[in-house]
Amino acid sequence: MKRRLALIILAVGLVLSACTSATSEGPSEGAAPAITTTTVAPASTTTDAFPSETPTTTDGRSPLAELVSPIGSAAYDPRDHVDNRPVPTSISIDEIGVVEAPVLDVGVEPDGDMEIPGASDVGWYRFNPTPGDPGSAVLAAHIQYNGKPGVFRYLSDVEVGDEVVVHFDDGSRTGFQVVELAQYDKDELPTDRVFAKDGAPMLTLITCGGDFNRSLNSYEDNVVAYAVPISA
Amino acid sequence: MKKLIAVFAATLMALAIAAPAMAQAETRIHLIHGIPDTAVDVYVDDAAVFEDFNFGDTQDLSSLAGETLVNLQVRLAGTDTVAIEAGDVDLPASGNYSIIANLDEAGTPTLSVFANDTSEIDAGNGRLQVRHTAAAPAVDVKADGAVAFSNLSNPNEAKADLPAATYSVEVVPTGADEPVVIGPADIAVTDGESLIVYAVGSLEGETLTVLTESITGLGAAPAAVQTGNSPIDSGTSMATVAALMIIATVAVGGGLVLARRTN
Repeated sequence: MKRRLALIILAVGLVLSACTSATSEGPSEGAAPAITTTTVAPASTTTDAFPSETPTTTDGRSPLAELVSPIGSAAYDPRDHVDNRPVPTSISIDEIGVVEAPVLDVGVEPDGDMEIPGASDVGWYRFNPTPGDPGSAVLAAHIQYNGKPGVFRYLSDVEVGDEVVVHFDDGSRTGFQVVELAQYDKDELPTDRVFAKDGAPMLTLITCGGDFNRSLNSYEDNVVAYAVPISA
Repeated sequence: MKKLIAVFAATLMALAIAAPAMAQAETRIHLIHGIPDTAVDVYVDDAAVFEDFNFGDTQDLSSLAGETLVNLQVRLAGTDTVAIEAGDVDLPASGNYSIIANLDEAGTPTLSVFANDTSEIDAGNGRLQVRHTAAAPAVDVKADGAVAFSNLSNPNEAKADLPAATYSVEVVPTGADEPVVIGPADIAVTDGESLIVYAVGSLEGETLTVLTESITGLGAAPAAVQTGNSPIDSGTSMATVAALMIIATVAVGGGLVLARRTN
């Protein structure tokens, strides 16, 4: 009996993987950039025929001096742009059986969606902060991909207070605690919050949920777990 | 009570209308010193606004938005020698502008005003705005070996939104491969950020270099997070399983027939 059930599951799996449109092939770098050029002339300074009275202080300094402020040098220093953040390499969430699942850095698909790796990996959105830094660090993984359970298959079972551990490429690790769970219609995902580039450090875990739309091969909802660093 | 609701609704509507207006970028006016080796004092109406302003220094003039700078003069530091006689300058009341004290193509100090593009940038991209504010002829700007902006002349700018990455940028005379007059330099184009690069200095004086400023927070978030393309197994009904089994049988059977034919 068990064997027969396994065969059925196998057959279903085969059909599903044949039917699904495998659009996401995991992270891939975009093609060579297409550069378009626009040339714009600068706005000219205008002359005002009605000069206003600007009182002069006794020491010869303009009262405007109080209103302007220096903001440093405009010299270009490539070192300011070096990205030496620790990069997340794996994630563990004991309560839902995620044990050191590999984390890959991902960007954006040509259609503007976030890149998501295969069923057994988690994608870290590299254009947002690394976990623990100010802003929202976004880790997303499938619930089910090409018939295989994804790393975040049971993300909706996570509870407030559960611990999430992120390991980094420098050997360090940071513990986070889930503070909020939410489920949104995909059209209503609060992207300003989920992809916030600053603000308090937040680890934002995302997968899919809700009803599965067979004609679109897509779920109706996003399931999101928000977690904050556990202070040492 | 009905009236109260109406007032409440009206307030909500007013807020809804006001919100997009408030979301517009705040006013930002920066003044950049883009003339090498020339310390200056900036005077308005014969009084110093700031003194000993050096090459590369930037001043935030945002709180002067909407003001008229009467008889704006840039003087050589500590002297009465006027380097730039700008006359009365109206600062815009709102918007995002950069003013640079720079050399024109012939090498005469001048002030150039640029409106900065703060429109939204697609997720995963950054903006590169290149401004020719140097005493030098027209140039081509190459990124990773290919011409990105061609025939750019003082005082014009060119811009593009590019995938966020580090590009090796070099500046050459228009249509030529060499001499490389600026660079090659690694320029990082960052997601959601506009990097503004000024070519400054003088070709003849061998002081050509770049100054930069950046405007952050322009990026869009990804359109969606698609994290599942097949239904989870536990939700599969027995009817579906039966239907799928029939399909599977037909498919496998068909495959076998095909396989036999090719043998």
